[in-house]
Amino acid sequence: MAKAPPITNRIRELREQHGGMSQSALAEAIGVTRQTIIAIELGKYSPSLESAFRISRVFATDLERVFGWEGPPKR
Amino acid sequence: MSPSLAIRHMPFREKTAWVMAAILIGGAAFYLYLVTSASRALGQTAPPIIGFVIAYVVLIVIASMALMSALAALSPREANAPADERERIIGDKAGNWSSYVIVLAALGALWHYAMKQDGNMLFHLVFLSLMLGQIAEYVFQIALYRRGV
Repeated sequence: MAKAPPITNRIRELREQHGGMSQSALAEAIGVTRQTIIAIELGKYSPSLESAFRISRVFATDLERVFGWEGPPKR
Repeated sequence: MSPSLAIRHMPFREKTAWVMAAILIGGAAFYLYLVTSASRALGQTAPPIIGFVIAYVVLIVIASMALMSALAALSPREANAPADERERIIGDKAGNWSSYVIVLAALGALWHYAMKQDGNMLFHLVFLSLMLGQIAEYVFQIALYRRGV
């Protein structure tokens, strides 16, 4: 498998908290395919900044509550 | 996940990549078979038959259009939707990598010509290089869809 990007996310958890929102519904809300949502949730794809903001808006929360950074800390 | 379920959940563009790769691999194998059998019969590299090459390309285009239409009929919504950001990245990367395959294969064909001065073989190798480049593009797309971008 390709090296996973150091970006984590809580999309699956947030979907469950939002009435069990389906991957298809989230995909449609932000304008990507369901497979792209699956790839993001599995850490196989890091979304663009625009899509990341769109996802956080769907869940009515801040970007940093959806996505996290596990890369090297700031120097 | 069962194979039928995996196919159902596959992105539309990955399905089309599988179909196109299969058509082109079959086409390249058939072309190779015709050229080698004709060359064996002639006792030298078979000359290019332009009419055959054109008919062959037209047949591949028709076969791919028919199969793509069938796929689109099965999932019209996905087929009509524009590529999303991940699919565009996959398309760009696969197209970029496959250009290296075409260049390497074409250089191989030129090297062969420089060594053997066989113009007929040069034609067949360049034609196969173009097919190889297209096959590589679809194979890279499939790999990127499955492994991640």
